[in-house]
Amino acid sequence: MQETLTKLYEMTAFGGFSLSVALMWLIAFVLLYLGIKKQYEPLLLVPIAFGVLLANFPGGGMGIVPAENIALEGHRYKNLFEIASEYGIMNYLYYSLIKTGFLPPIIFMGVGALTDFGPMLRNLKLAMFGAAAQIGIFTVLICSLLLGFTLKEAASLGIIGGADGPTAIYTTIKLAPHLLGPIAIAAYSYMALVPVIIPLVANLLMTKNEFKINMRQMDKLYPSKHQIKNLKTVKIVFPIVLGVVSAVFVPSSVPLLGMLLFGNLVKEIGTSTSRLADAATGPILNTATIFLGLAVGATMTADVFLTPKTLGIVVGGFLAFAISIAGGIVAVKIYNLFAKKKINPLIGATGLSAVPMASRVANEMALKHDSTNHILQYCMASNISGVIGSAVAAGVLISLV
Amino acid sequence: MDETISKALLVMLVGMLTVFLILWLITVIGNIIIRLSNKYLPEVEQVVKEKKGEAQQIKKNTYAAIESAVSIVTNGKGKVSEIKKI
Repeated sequence: MQETLTKLYEMTAFGGFSLSVALMWLIAFVLLYLGIKKQYEPLLLVPIAFGVLLANFPGGGMGIVPAENIALEGHRYKNLFEIASEYGIMNYLYYSLIKTGFLPPIIFMGVGALTDFGPMLRNLKLAMFGAAAQIGIFTVLICSLLLGFTLKEAASLGIIGGADGPTAIYTTIKLAPHLLGPIAIAAYSYMALVPVIIPLVANLLMTKNEFKINMRQMDKLYPSKHQIKNLKTVKIVFPIVLGVVSAVFVPSSVPLLGMLLFGNLVKEIGTSTSRLADAATGPILNTATIFLGLAVGATMTADVFLTPKTLGIVVGGFLAFAISIAGGIVAVKIYNLFAKKKINPLIGATGLSAVPMASRVANEMALKHDSTNHILQYCMASNISGVIGSAVAAGVLISLV
Repeated sequence: MDETISKALLVMLVGMLTVFLILWLITVIGNIIIRLSNKYLPEVEQVVKEKKGEAQQIKKNTYAAIESAVSIVTNGKGKVSEIKKI
């Protein structure tokens, strides 16, 4: 009888319950609340949060094990069947889809098929502010080193400043996979907090007059020299040429940028490839998002997540975001010192990725100061170039660090 | 530590320069593509031959609505050549 009761007790999760497990459940519940109730990036935060829960059910066998567990002698690894049978399906998913770097480029393909380069092509000059807004990535890289992170960890932390989830995940997989969980959470949480962070930084750095710079009036005063007569052709040629150029200069950015541009191309071609674009933006993107979210969440077991480094990532991620936004704003201010045709600095603030939320937030801020000042299309130009800029920055980090 | 910091500073310099270079190239390439397409592939204006009496049958705004619908469905490839009341 006692033996049966002991076995029954061992069958339940009560034996493995601890304070750290309870804390991880609490974190998962908070993330679920933010995703479901507050609608903070629900498509990713809900799977990640549920992945955290799954990984922290004692005895559930869904937590991701460290890479040392699957390593064999001579830089070899266990095969996927061995991983699945020894550590369960979540480890199978993680080591086949995430650790190989497979899912982030697949998600980028879907993002590309959802992206319209039109606003950027109409305002090409504004694309340069997408470069200035990458300064947060590299500034936090240096700050993190001073806080005791290794160079590879610091690079993974800095990339949060690119405000691009798949890019942050891809870079972390390559450089510091043991930090994947907290970095993914920080990246998506801060992306969800863009409506708070952009106004905070913009109000600190911009004057009332700068908020009121009306882009349409500027366009009337200083019209563009070249109007696009055949936008459709330009949109088809652009991803092909850009893909070739970026591959030549930064080959390590090709997995992300190449897939983004391929997705965009099949969208722009039109009816003859619309089925591919539909697949990229529908079933493929959704399936990739589910597996990415669950597997990333499952990396957050208590012993991995509850460390001082997680706190450093939370603080560093915020700094990276804020500095990137500030970098874009300051770049526009410097440009305005020398240019006749002034640019609203809010456009610089959208130079980080987070498309299209950053643009929407900046547009609303401009409208608050002047109800006729619609800057959405202009913001989208630097916003989209920010996606390219962060992918290039990730490529540089992967190559050099 | 100093060595790591100097390597990080180098990464920062190279990284920012590369990002600026690529986005500058995007600006240049984009402008070249726009100029070339404007010169060699300007969008063909849709000239519609109106048959005698047809203009009276179909109002201009109705015609414009049909034309834009065809353009959206066919992604700009289709052209309205004839409209018949069934």
